[in-house]
Amino acid sequence: MRNVVVTGGSRGLGLGIARKLTAAGYRVIAIARKESNQLTSAMEEAERDGPGLLHFVPFDLAEIGEIRRLVTTLRKDFGPIYGLVNNAAIAFDGVLAIMHNSQIEHLVRVNTLSPIVLTKYIVRSMMADGGGRIVNVASVVGFTGYSGLSVYAATKASMLGFTRSLAREVGRLGVTVNSVAPGFVDTAMTQNLDAEQRQQIERRSALRRLPDVDDVANAVEFILSDKAKSITGTVITVDAGNTA
Amino acid sequence: MSVRTDVVSLFEQVAAQQKKKLAPLLDELVLLDSGLDSLCLAIIVARLEDTLGVDPFTAAQDADFPVTLGEFIRFYDDAVR
Ligand SMILES: NC(=O)c1ccc[n+]([C@@H]2O[C@H](COP(=O)([O-])OP(=O)(O)OC[C@H]3O[C@@H](n4cnc5c(N)ncnc54)[C@H](OP(=O)(O)O)[C@@H]3O)[C@@H](O)[C@H]2O)c1
Repeated sequence: MRNVVVTGGSRGLGLGIARKLTAAGYRVIAIARKESNQLTSAMEEAERDGPGLLHFVPFDLAEIGEIRRLVTTLRKDFGPIYGLVNNAAIAFDGVLAIMHNSQIEHLVRVNTLSPIVLTKYIVRSMMADGGGRIVNVASVVGFTGYSGLSVYAATKASMLGFTRSLAREVGRLGVTVNSVAPGFVDTAMTQNLDAEQRQQIERRSALRRLPDVDDVANAVEFILSDKAKSITGTVITVDAGNTA
Repeated sequence: MSVRTDVVSLFEQVAAQQKKKLAPLLDELVLLDSGLDSLCLAIIVARLEDTLGVDPFTAAQDADFPVTLGEFIRFYDDAVR
């Protein structure tokens, strides 16, 4: 069974991705700080119905210095890692001019530094094993502007740049690297949006609605599948046409 | 001597897989002249971590990479000791 690590797999998009991949027959290792009730039931469901498996490994991805040990443990406990989905991220909105430096630093640490370092160690194991798939969850905010999200946007744009150059670096080894850029999806991260803002986003989207968690999970599943073997260094936007 | 054997056989294995022509593996050989590029060296470091259980580059305080093959082998020799 192919192992796929999904960071932030306990809730929201990450949980949706973890469920989808489990249903497609992967062994998914979800990483987050806390196990959520939804994740617990998804793990029970997978155990009962298969075809894949879902495991939870608690870890705080802000602890950059511990990431290497995490990867060593994952490889020891689960074997070779076929896929990595860098999905965990945090979002605070706020006007840059009054945002606390510690908040700026924390956003960059969790959303940019941590996935880069995690990828470093997992790509090494993919190198040793002869191939793999990396999917970085970016955001449409990485290429369009939203007032109040400048720092978050910087971290999401960083994933797009990271994707393209790393794809060139590791392509020879049979490792593909791609991004998925969701538009606004209903999760804990977007609960601050009020009804009016949501309607405005819907109105401005070609399909007159928001994408849902499943739409994003489908894109990730496709990139991990053998069907996507010739796709690397690019981005799949799943935003119901919001940025079209 | 086993570290040397592991290193040398990995150089040969990776060169073959990546279709690179390997220079004779003498201690004075400058790694960048070995015929392998930096990605190949990265593969070797990743595989050595599997076989020897150490990664002296992550453990090291500074970011210097050894220049010659002899230094590279000594780096691992010291790390496994
Ligand atoms: N929702 C959207 O509209 C939207 C749009 C575009 C892009 N995205 C992107 O989609 C991804 C998922 O977003 P989401 O909406 O699903 O977010 P979410 O519902 O807030 O879930 C975030 C996940 O990340 C984990 N996480 C956060 N900080 C962590 C840390 N320090 N260590 C380990 N795990 C951590 C959380 O678990 P714990 O809190 O237990 O650690 C949780 O599982 C993010 O990359 C986000 O930027 C979302």
